[in-house]
This record gives sequence, structure tokens and C-alpha cells, in this order.
Amino acid sequence: MGRLDVKNSAILLEKIKESLDRLNEKMEVFIEIQRQGGKPDFVVQDLPEALDVMTLLSLPDHLRKTAVAICKLGHATAEEVSEQTKRARAVESGYLNQLVLMGYLKKERKGRKAFFFVER
Amino acid sequence: MKAVGVGKIIAIHSYKGGTGKTLLTVNLAATYARRGKRVCVLDLDFRAPSLQSVFELNGSEYWLNDYLNGACEINKVLVDYTPQCKCSGQMLVGLANPATEALRDMSSKDRKWEMRALGRLLSLKNTLLNDMELDYLLFDTSPGLQYSSINAIVSADVVLVISTIDASDVEGTRRMTHELYDLFEKKTGILMNKVPIEFLSTPVDRDSVYKRFENTHTLPVLKVIPCFCDVLRAGGTKIFARDEPEHPFTKHLDEIASKVEAF
Repeated sequence: MGRLDVKNSAILLEKIKESLDRLNEKMEVFIEIQRQGGKPDFVVQDLPEALDVMTLLSLPDHLRKTAVAICKLGHATAEEVSEQTKRARAVESGYLNQLVLMGYLKKERKGRKAFFFVER
Repeated sequence: MKAVGVGKIIAIHSYKGGTGKTLLTVNLAATYARRGKRVCVLDLDFRAPSLQSVFELNGSEYWLNDYLNGACEINKVLVDYTPQCKCSGQMLVGLANPATEALRDMSSKDRKWEMRALGRLLSLKNTLLNDMELDYLLFDTSPGLQYSSINAIVSADVVLVISTIDASDVEGTRRMTHELYDLFEKKTGILMNKVPIEFLSTPVDRDSVYKRFENTHTLPVLKVIPCFCDVLRAGGTKIFARDEPEHPFTKHLDEIASKVEAF
């Protein structure tokens, strides 16, 4: 195999890895929704105004814990949030993605890592 | 060098006004400063600022309002009160703007602003406790469920709730701690203040008062503080922990400080 082919294969593998990561995150959200009886515990209607304390109070307990952790950390990965909340990384990943779907958090990718944050 | 993350943020809150929050906040801060700790007190009661009269300060170029508005950094707001404190530690004070215009401005903030204010309060853990290596950051808050006080509670490591024996205060405090603090999983201690001295005349009486309020709140009652006429007479302007180290009120504060330290 030529040098160019090796380079192309590496790029292709990287793209596959990123796609799998994204797929994995989506699966985690679906698993979480399934765990809660097949219905999401939120309704995505109008985009919420802000993740202020009154909104934090209105969230279900499990999401509030995640949201408070991200408010404290500012900009963090699911791994960092899980260190704060002492829950599994996969669980936090599911909750963080739910909060993104609800419009309270933003998500950005830097290389292989996904970062979550509150847009202030 | 102090290990990062060792400092504590303490929010002092109550259900009703007039429970003695400001007096206890100031004296608790002075107690720590006398022990050689590096302390900062912030007036987060933007509806009724009062620290400027207790500390007899004329204000500074910037207020906490400016910090929360994003108009300056926190170091511009802080006034060094160490020389007047006569303590071996350090005491910094951050004042809220008492001008009527500022009170009006703070009561008309929207949710987006409150969210940003929460972010700025949360970031004080890094700037004041980790970077400036302070030992304690104390928040004097508005009574009841105001945006500013809930922001302070969410940002704090420990919440001290002051209550009197007034039935509506006790019931409101109980409801507030269970319906609000529990949701944020806060370490909470109750301080019963202004308790008539006759309720505490014997050790048996004292025990029964502690038990009664611990049963009501299902939270630790850190201290039952008797009502001292000379404390009331001082009108909230005297710092007992500095001016009267042998006063029984100062002794109570010493015990509270130790309990919070170990909390």
C-alpha cells in the first residue's frame, strides 16, 4: 500500500470513529428516554430562555444535578461532569445530550472530545 | 501554599427578614479573621444593602452590582477592612450599591441576566478561593426566595439558615429548606437566633430546645443563640467579635465558627 493510501485510510478511520462517537451519544439519549418509560421527561417546544435558578428548580432531580455541575464547571466533557456528580460517564453523557436537546446547553466538538456549556 | 479548593463559601440566609443575618455574617467573618483566616464578606442583599453601615464604609469605586453586570472584575469591588478589623488574618468586604436607582435596576433584571449573574457568582470560587487563596467567602443574602438569594445558595458550599422562634418563621424555614435546599443537595445548618433567655436557663431546657428544632427541621441545629439586650441595643453596628471578645455573644460565634469549620 502506498503512503497516500495509508494517509487516506487513517483519515477515513478517523471519520468513522467520529461518526461512531456521535451515534453512541444519540444511542445514550435513546437509552435514557427508554429507561424513563419510553417518553422523554421533557417536551421540546419553544426554546427556553435561560438556564437560570428557577429553570434549575423546575428540572427533574437527575437532570438538575447534571445542569448544576455544568454551571459550576462552565465548559466540560461528560467525563468531567461525572467526576463532579459521582455518576457513570455514560449516564452523564445521556443527561447532557438531553439538556442540549432541551435547548439549555450547547455542545461543541474539539477533536475527539465533546464539550458542553451554558451559553451566557 | 494552601491546597486548591480548601476554602469554603458560606451563604447566610433566612426565610424572613430581621432574623439577624447581617449581624451574624459580619461577626462570623470577624471571628475567622481573628483566628488568622483570610475572609471576604459580600453583600448580596441588593434589595436592602446594609454592610456599608455596619463597616462604616463610604463605598468604593465599584459595587457588587457592577461585578454582576460584567462591568468590572471582583478585585475592583473589594475593600480591605483588615486594618479596622484588628485581626491577625485578612478581611475583605464587597458592598452592594444602596442608591435607590441601583435598587430599582437590580429588581428589573431578566432571567438571562440572572443566569449570567449565577455564572459570575460561581466563578468566585476560582478567583477568590483558589487564586487569591481566601479561606472563607461569606454571602449575606436577601431573605426568602429571591433570585439573588437562590443564586447565592446554589453557589455556596454551606448554607446557614437563621430563624427566630416565631411560628411563621419556623414553619417557613422548614418549608424553604425542604422545598429548595434539598433540591440542590446543600449542606445546611440551622441557627436559632434571638431565643428568649428563659428558654435556655438550665441544661435540660437547652437540650429540649435543640431537640425541638432539630425535630422540626430534620437538619442540624448548630447553635441556639439567646436574645442579648445589649446586642439589640447596639443597633447592628457593633462588631462584637472584634470589640467585645469576652461577650457571651462572641463566645457563641466562636462555637458556630468551629462547627462550620468542621461541617
